[in-house]
Amino acid sequence: MAGDVKHDYHLVNPSPWPAVMSLAVLFLTVGAVFTMKSDATLFGMSGFGSYLFVGGFLGVLYTMFAWWKDVIKEGETGDHTPVVQIGLRYGMILFIASEVMFFVAWFWAFFSSALYPHLQFESLVAFWDVFQGEAQWPPAGIETFDPWHLPFMNTLILLLSGTTVTWAHHALVEGDREGAKKGLWLTVILGAFFSCVQAYEYSHAAFEFSGNIYGATFYMATGFHGFHVLVGTIFLAVCLGRVYKGHFKPDHHFGFEAAAWYWHFVDVVWIFLFFCIYIWGA
Amino acid sequence: MAHENPTGWRRWVYSTNHKDIGVMYLWFSFFAGMIGFAMSGLMRMELAEPGVQFLPEFLGITEDHARHMFNVLTTGHGLIMVFFMVMPALIGGFGNYFVPLMIGAPDMAFPRMNNVSFWLMPPAFILLLLSTVVDGTGSMDGFGGGWTAYAPLSTTGHPGPSMDLAIFSLHVAGASSIMGAINYITTIFNMRAPGMTLHKMPLFSWSILITAFLLVLSLPVLAGAITMLLTDRNFGTTFFDPSGGGDPILFQHLFWFFGHPEVYIMILPAFGIVSHIVSTFSRKPVFGYLGMAYAMAAIGFIGFVVWAHHMYTVGLDVDTKAYFVAATMVIAVPTGVKIFSWIATMWGGSIKYEVPMLYAIAFILLFTVGGVTGVVLSNAGADIVLHDTYYVVAHFHYVLSLGAVFAIFAGLYYWVGKMSGKQYPNFLANVQFWVTFIGVNLIFFPQHFLGLQGMPRRYVDYTDAHAYWNKISSYGYLVTLVGVLLFIVVMAITLFKKKKDCADNPWGEGATTLEWTLSSPPPFHQFNELPKIK
Amino acid sequence: MNVKRLTAGIMVALTALFGFTVSALAEGRLGVPKDKGIWLQEAANTQASRVVDFNELLLWIITVIAAFVFILMFYVMIRYNAKANPEPSKTSHNTLIEIIWTVVPIGVLVVIGFWSIPLLYFQDVVPKTEFAVRVTGNQWNWTYNYPDHDGIEFTAAVVPKSAFADAAERAEYEAGLSKFLGRDAKLNARLLDTDYRMVVPVNTKVKVMLTASDVIHSWAVPSLGVKLDAVPGRLNETWFEADEVGTYYGQCSELCGKDHAYMPIAVEVVSKDEFAKWVERAKAEYADAGTTALGR
Ligand code: HEA
Ligand code: HEA
Ligand code: CUA
Ligand SMILES: [Cu+2]
Repeated sequence: MAGDVKHDYHLVNPSPWPAVMSLAVLFLTVGAVFTMKSDATLFGMSGFGSYLFVGGFLGVLYTMFAWWKDVIKEGETGDHTPVVQIGLRYGMILFIASEVMFFVAWFWAFFSSALYPHLQFESLVAFWDVFQGEAQWPPAGIETFDPWHLPFMNTLILLLSGTTVTWAHHALVEGDREGAKKGLWLTVILGAFFSCVQAYEYSHAAFEFSGNIYGATFYMATGFHGFHVLVGTIFLAVCLGRVYKGHFKPDHHFGFEAAAWYWHFVDVVWIFLFFCIYIWGA
Repeated sequence: MAHENPTGWRRWVYSTNHKDIGVMYLWFSFFAGMIGFAMSGLMRMELAEPGVQFLPEFLGITEDHARHMFNVLTTGHGLIMVFFMVMPALIGGFGNYFVPLMIGAPDMAFPRMNNVSFWLMPPAFILLLLSTVVDGTGSMDGFGGGWTAYAPLSTTGHPGPSMDLAIFSLHVAGASSIMGAINYITTIFNMRAPGMTLHKMPLFSWSILITAFLLVLSLPVLAGAITMLLTDRNFGTTFFDPSGGGDPILFQHLFWFFGHPEVYIMILPAFGIVSHIVSTFSRKPVFGYLGMAYAMAAIGFIGFVVWAHHMYTVGLDVDTKAYFVAATMVIAVPTGVKIFSWIATMWGGSIKYEVPMLYAIAFILLFTVGGVTGVVLSNAGADIVLHDTYYVVAHFHYVLSLGAVFAIFAGLYYWVGKMSGKQYPNFLANVQFWVTFIGVNLIFFPQHFLGLQGMPRRYVDYTDAHAYWNKISSYGYLVTLVGVLLFIVVMAITLFKKKKDCADNPWGEGATTLEWTLSSPPPFHQFNELPKIK
Repeated sequence: MNVKRLTAGIMVALTALFGFTVSALAEGRLGVPKDKGIWLQEAANTQASRVVDFNELLLWIITVIAAFVFILMFYVMIRYNAKANPEPSKTSHNTLIEIIWTVVPIGVLVVIGFWSIPLLYFQDVVPKTEFAVRVTGNQWNWTYNYPDHDGIEFTAAVVPKSAFADAAERAEYEAGLSKFLGRDAKLNARLLDTDYRMVVPVNTKVKVMLTASDVIHSWAVPSLGVKLDAVPGRLNETWFEADEVGTYYGQCSELCGKDHAYMPIAVEVVSKDEFAKWVERAKAEYADAGTTALGR
């Protein structure tokens, strides 16, 4: 079969991971539902939710690990020809585009609440009495963060990490493996530091996650960003490990570039969060 | 670079072959379609007469329960037909099978990711089915809030786990579609055969390309919206809850920002298929090829800025409505270009009326009917009496059930020989077309009258004045049932044939795209040597 | 006005002819769907009649467009079938025709817009009204409150189907309704009648203020040309003016759960005198009668 292939595309070998992933996702989601609704029953059973959830979650993690391990192996054994690398680039750009649209939803929720604030009704019964009142943003009684305190520091941390990842990139291109390691180490550390600062900030918030629209938009937008920072940090850490293994070549290191693009995307989202939610929205 | 070709179940479950994955998508869509079709049957039987009698008797439940059950059926029917029948058939099925063939590529760009796109569909579907058998309202099973899942009916209105399962179903189906879309765009941009420029690319590939962009840009917004539903339901956020300063209308904006592009996601691939069939059986190249391609791009683009035409009665500001009226009507222009170009393709042709062509012609005519009623609805001033009535139901079934679904039938008849190597029985297929054609028109044309007379949609029971047309509509369902059963017979006869009797190109010189240069069925891996396009 | 009366008379006669339960006692017009009807419900005021006229225009336009496409298609199908035309032409471009079929539809749309937009503004911009009614949608009934009339408040729910089968139950409901309205009243249609009705005077601009107490509902009366959602946490406003005494029916038009099909709307339009009398009686009985659901 293989002998007569006269093109450079990558015909991937059959793989069990998609099907395994599918099963793991089913467990994960059903488990999640019956964890959140722990006393609900499915076919007369209950209380199984968290086990299913943890099992499914581990299954998803394992599958991702195994899957990407295969990808790395294929990349290292020559399946990622130049044309395949171009394809990977398209793929990553489009993935980031879809992520951008995901954040559009959260920004939409934020702006629609901030630009057209609604009164908060203690109960709907009181509606007719208060609807003429003035609504404001941030809602009455919400004490927001000072953007020029920890958030500003976090902005600087992320911007700095953007430069260190570029440092690592240049080092890779020039074949300077040690420089790449340094740049990546710094980036990963800065990323982790950002997450810690964010967690610290959350724990000192003067408003709640639940019960008010400010908390909802704030925590979900910054929280999903935080999650992306986490993913990006892991992605970069994997790249760091691969540098130690001697994986990347000066002209072939798309795995690293994808991580860097992702990191820049996370960075840009933060800039928007910082200016819109922390500064303008306060 | 050894390439394994497992056999047996591994061939399918482990597949990294676009044709096998496409076939799995088609089977999946078929089964889901049967369930969605059966659900619509239950609805039509209940609506055959005023009062609530069929469901209580058929399912052995109380009338009260039946009222909720009807909403569960409507919701399930809408979601299944949209996410688990039309999309998997047109995009996952035909897209997977034919986009690589048409652009001269050996497979998709990311074959393994392609398979996870498919394999996420079964769990998504299982989640949706599970949602109908667990608690929905706190006292009754299933989610009955419509496929649009408006808050707060989908938050405080359905506190049980049913809605959570439905939310995850959409998350998973959405992830599948996003990955699929990324795959198509990459494949089309990166893997066209030498000489196959974008401006030479067959229109079906164009349609999938544009559809894929709509998917990538609109589905994540839906994902965000339903995540908000999830946190509102389970973690006390108040995105859509006024008692915490939130706003139910926000959900509608987010939903329709996805939802309107979604309807073009369902129709653009149909446009692509119809273009090929019309050209093939007229023995003429498509008239105004570039105009056709760019009309689809225009439809896709404008499709993103018209969403609030679904929200004319929610209390939007009047200037906002005026804008959405104007923007929505504009879509009639590129769509008209398509309709007229198809007719112009046939003009001067030498037309053969094979079954795919009958379906394609029916598509053009019936889509026009559905399209022009869309233009009526786009006028907020008229929509005020038509919104949420059966007029809307009639509109969207003309573009979907008589549009997108007819394109699926057309594509299936057009390509079943190519995919299986076996040609369908011609006479029976003709009968199947006519029975289905009459049946679906009987179902949906009278619904215009019901809507004009003010019958609201999502009603389990209606006032006696609406009895007549509802009865006709339900009779229409019975006719369609015969059509669908005939379809199963036709396909069974085709697929159970022993002999492969389909020529490489059974349609003659009108069929010019690359898939017809291959054997029927095509080899497991085609284009090991890339074709050169002059 | 006379022509309108006449058509109204004919309509009523026709509905009766078709076997619709038109009560001999019914005073004034009935805003109801018609058996086997194929067109909009008959308009009972300017708003609705403008909608009907506009729809008629649209119907003409879309019928002509669809007929054009159908005729063209049939012509092509016959003229260019493989037997009649064995050798296909090779034309695949014609700039002029492509321009025409782009520009002509634009022209049609501009014509539509010319009618559409003014109608939209007419419906949407609430004029100076004489009084307001606050309407609250609940699962599954409507609460009406008259803030300008000492807060008369009552909740209208569907008349159960059984009342249309059982004469005694029906009589009971009719008695209740007659007492409420202060004159003889009959039930007219299953799933459209409510135990109480929203009462407004004829030839008077009334503002309708809408909200909801649980999920979204939609307050719609086709023959008066109004439909607007009742959204929790939001206040929506619309208006109408009825030209004729009568009973006008509508139904909840946004999916609101199990009994979405069972929360109709009935608007009783009475003469100004009768309205004044009704207000007096209703004040005594319903004003500030302890706020239910969404209070005042
Ligand atoms: C395949 C799916 C599909 C397609 C293609 C369309 C196409 C269109 N739709 Fe439709 N629509 C739906 C699926 C679709 N729709 C669904 C599912 C809903 C309901 C959702 C729900 O609430 O559950 C809906 C609801 C819906 C509404 C909301 C109604 C309401 O809830 O009150 C509106 C309002 O503007 C609308 C408008 C249109 C318009 C203007 C088009 C246009 O794109 C049509 C353009 C086509 C033509 C006009 C015909 C061909 C053109 C010519 C022959 C040229 C000459 C014509 C003119 C000059 C007019 N649609
Ligand atoms: C693609 C979308 C689609 C399709 C095909 C259909 C098909 C049908 N639909 Fe509908 N329908 C919706 C989308 C669709 N529907 C949506 C979105 C809603 C709104 C839901 C809501 O309000 O929330 C709705 C609502 C809806 C209602 C209104 C319910 C209500 O308001 O309470 C009714 C009532 O009669 C109805 C009837 C039917 C019938 C009789 C059919 C059919 O039975 C007609 C005949 C169909 C066929 C002949 C095709 C069958 C297809 C296959 C078997 C698959 C074949 C595939 C392969 C071979 C690969 N549908
Ligand atoms: Cu209230 Cu529907
Ligand atoms: Cu739309």
